[in-house]
Amino acid sequence: MTDAQPLLKLDGIARNFGAIEALRGIDMHVDRGEVLALLGDNGAGKSTLVKIIAGGLRPSAGRMLFDGAPRDFATPAEAKAAGIETVYQDLSLCTNADVVANFFMGREITRRVLGIPILQERAMEAVVAQAMAEAGTTIPSLRTNVENLSGGQRQAIELNRFVHWGGKLVLLDEPFAALGVEQTRRGLAMIRQVAARGIGVIVITHIMAQAFAVADRIVVIRQGRVAGDVKSNQTTPEAVIEMITGGTLSGAGPDRDRDTHDPASETEEARQ
Amino acid sequence: MTPRRRALIEFILDNLVWLMLIVVLIVFSLTVPRFFQFGIFANIFEQSTFVGVMAIGLAIVIISGNLDLSVESTAALSAMVTGLLFATQGIGMGITLGADWLLIPVSLAIALLVGTAIGLINGFLVIRVGMSAFIVTLASFIWVRGLVVAISGGRSAQSLPPAIRVIGIETVLGIPLLAWISVGCFVVFSVLMARTPFGRYVILVGGNPNATFRAGINNDRILWAGFAIAGCLAGLAGWLLAIRTSGATANLGTGMLFNAFAAVVIGGVSLKGGIGRLPGVYAGVLLLYSIHTAINLMGLPAHFTQMILGGLVLAAVLLDTLKLRLRERLL
Ligand SMILES: Nc1ncnc2c1ncn2[C@@H]1O[C@H](COP(=O)(O)OP(=O)(O)OP(=O)(O)O)[C@@H](O)[C@H]1O
Ligand SMILES: [Mg+2]
Repeated sequence: MTDAQPLLKLDGIARNFGAIEALRGIDMHVDRGEVLALLGDNGAGKSTLVKIIAGGLRPSAGRMLFDGAPRDFATPAEAKAAGIETVYQDLSLCTNADVVANFFMGREITRRVLGIPILQERAMEAVVAQAMAEAGTTIPSLRTNVENLSGGQRQAIELNRFVHWGGKLVLLDEPFAALGVEQTRRGLAMIRQVAARGIGVIVITHIMAQAFAVADRIVVIRQGRVAGDVKSNQTTPEAVIEMITGGTLSGAGPDRDRDTHDPASETEEARQ
Repeated sequence: MTPRRRALIEFILDNLVWLMLIVVLIVFSLTVPRFFQFGIFANIFEQSTFVGVMAIGLAIVIISGNLDLSVESTAALSAMVTGLLFATQGIGMGITLGADWLLIPVSLAIALLVGTAIGLINGFLVIRVGMSAFIVTLASFIWVRGLVVAISGGRSAQSLPPAIRVIGIETVLGIPLLAWISVGCFVVFSVLMARTPFGRYVILVGGNPNATFRAGINNDRILWAGFAIAGCLAGLAGWLLAIRTSGATANLGTGMLFNAFAAVVIGGVSLKGGIGRLPGVYAGVLLLYSIHTAINLMGLPAHFTQMILGGLVLAAVLLDTLKLRLRERLL
């Protein structure tokens, strides 16, 4: 396991939903301590790719190497155990429980009393309070149920969760969609801090400025294929937009579809 | 609003059913003749035992996002098995074990096993096969009762040996041992639900199973445990019922399901799953049996009880929506 080896390497990852080919052979990699921005139009397959890496979906074909070993995660629990943290696009919170319960979901601090694990509520609340303070998130009470919180506050809980738990690889699917200006700035800074700890980060966003602000490298997905893979300091937003929409620029990856099922992209197909 | 005031309001809203219980007890004590007596309260306690124990399991299944309509029949089955094996008259086989003290643990273990087995069958059909919990447990409600009639031939078992019956006769501090058993169950399961990761997961899975799955929690294990606990506690309720009545009849326990459901709903458990606490359920059971007792004392005919309890369940559901609105307004 030398450092030369990437943290995550995807090799021909494909995924069908019935007749829909959401992913058609994705080859890409992420290094330790690297921030990779994953861009692409709606329906390009970004969330599907993230779910596959996170163990929530099985690929129809392809191989995945994580931390030097071939992996095929059957459940998110396995991916998590291997060190992969995920913030999903549709939030994964239990709104019927309070902030602390959500923050620690599945990883509660316990102490054994007579052999029975007992939740340590105070210790957990202290950890959450600190994590929230560091992220500049203000929540009236950590004991209110998440259903009473705003969309941004909910997203902040998930974001702070990954910063706290770390792991080896972090997957962020449009983490800033509901965040305010200041919270987004802090969120971007948090991503850099996390990467500085040697953790690999994949962040999905539609906002070009965010991608260029935070990412070392930009990978563009179009119609389930890698349409571009460039260092962010060697490209321009205009070039990336062309990759996303299927312009003629170099760097556009292999895109030789005979037929496509995505009606939204028929115009692009016609151009080829 | 200050955090303290907010916490106070939250506390009151969360424990509204206890407040109702206290108010109802005071009102009955003032208005119903012969209600305010130690004996009456001890009796309410004791009567609450069977439905109370059953309601714990029912509440846990419902909080986990499922449903178990079979608990009443399950209790009847384990009562009948207990009667059939150990009662000395009727269809009872009057099995004697080497030592008398063995009777309680052995009969209890058998009753719990019978209940757990039914719970696991429900769990298998719901979790593994993927059928709706409503249909599966409704079917169990019917076929398990059928099984009770089948193994008893419609006849009854009477006279459990005294070595078992002590459970139904003893009192501790003037309160029947049966009542202590249900209090003990509520304490143990309340701690389990409120203070351990298992209880936390039951609530989280009931709230958003997708989120818990992504968080690496084994949802199925929690759901299995819910059905197993519901079955096991129904088995315990049946065993206690058999001891109390010193035997079992084929129609033992009919009507318990409605009472257990009423207690669970009145106690603040949401049928949507994810919401509810066991102490509230216990208050719900006590409230229910306080009303039963008061109606008996007033000499009202039994159908009044049913009308009042039906109304109470509606009121409880109404109260739940009302609480939500109040919370939105106040917090
Ligand atoms: N569970 C599913 N069943 C059927 N089709 C699906 C499913 N999940 C995703 N798809 C399809 O796969 C394709 C890729 O979806 P995906 O969610 O990965 O897109 P995305 O790049 O994340 O888009 P967005 O930017 O809108 O979030 C879409 O055509 C979508 O309709
Ligand atoms: Mg997406």
